[in-house]
Amino acid sequence: MASIPSTANDGFTDPSPSSFSPSPQKSSTPGVAPFTNIFGRFSQWRKSLDLPNPGSVENLQKEVKTTHLTNFIFDGARADLTKSLSLNPAFQVTHSFALGSQTTAPSYNFGAVFANANIFLQGTVDHDGNVNARMNQGWTENSITKMQAQLSSQPGHNMIQLEHDYQGQDYTLNAKAVNPWPTDLTGIFIGSYFQSLTKNFAVGIESLYQRPTPEMAELSTSYLAKFTSTDKSWIATAQVQPAGIVQTTYWQKLSEKVEVAADLQLIAAPGRRDAIATLGAKYDLRMATFRAQLDSTGKVSALLEQRFAPTFAFLVSGEIDHFKNAAKVGVGVMIESTTLTPEEMGMPPQP
Amino acid sequence: MPSEETKERITKVIDLGRTVLHYSWIPLIIYVGYTRSTPQPTLIKLISPLA
Repeated sequence: MASIPSTANDGFTDPSPSSFSPSPQKSSTPGVAPFTNIFGRFSQWRKSLDLPNPGSVENLQKEVKTTHLTNFIFDGARADLTKSLSLNPAFQVTHSFALGSQTTAPSYNFGAVFANANIFLQGTVDHDGNVNARMNQGWTENSITKMQAQLSSQPGHNMIQLEHDYQGQDYTLNAKAVNPWPTDLTGIFIGSYFQSLTKNFAVGIESLYQRPTPEMAELSTSYLAKFTSTDKSWIATAQVQPAGIVQTTYWQKLSEKVEVAADLQLIAAPGRRDAIATLGAKYDLRMATFRAQLDSTGKVSALLEQRFAPTFAFLVSGEIDHFKNAAKVGVGVMIESTTLTPEEMGMPPQP
Repeated sequence: MPSEETKERITKVIDLGRTVLHYSWIPLIIYVGYTRSTPQPTLIKLISPLA
């Protein structure tokens, strides 16, 4: 008799699976009761491991991408005028102008964003009438459906991507369909699963099923791994793709204001052997953000984003390609205005 | 397998849906944002980049 309270106590102190009492829920059909018991014990044991969610496969290299300036660099001149019309729900419109670029034609873009707790709607339209649409709908805290489309009056420039993302306690599941066509079931279908194995280490798998015509189909699978330090100050990732592409990244937060990131991409496909290494640093200062980057193709680039006032920012970017003897320079302004009074934005009233 | 006629109909419906989405997406966001915003902005402030 005395042993019963002691085992009940052990259940709280010992996290091993054997110390858990069977699930108290009774199944209505007696035939499946052993299985639901096993499942209940398994999920309790899994919960007791207390593994963190590994994040999504899409965001595997998120920290590296925000530190490197590859996604931020521009050339020529640009101006972005953003106007916030409401804070909760968020609603803002953007007018962006770009000209003088070596690679892209001068353009005007109008964008609108609306977001509340569950839904996110975004759209941009350029001067040619091409529309980019994006919609995210959150169903619960960890289940979200995303839609992304490019709509153009020219044939062959249309794209639609439908996606569902589920974030479990220690895993993430994601399914994507790009340009699915219901009558002959062609399109690109991507499924991924990312699972934490320990508190620091997560592995994942991503499968890509391509079916451009009903007669042709191809399945390829890539593998991923992510190592996060316990205080999240550094992250290392690796991704292996079947065509012989290996991509490894390393990101470290050196201090509150400085982050560095390295990226190494190896291609060992038959007939092509190549490797690209990229090193970058990002400084977050009080009124400015500075990014600098150096890569093994001979490119040195930098981007400075200087905020002169909370509503006005000035951008300068530059890139020198030492091997090709080419250079790019860009300047830009970002102006944010609002129709709201300071009180409506939640600021204390000025004396 | 659906018949040729059904396939053609599905293709037509998808093409129509794409055209509707193309021309109504931005107006839809502006309508939703304009009606749900607190406080509601005036139309001229919504459209003009300078006002």
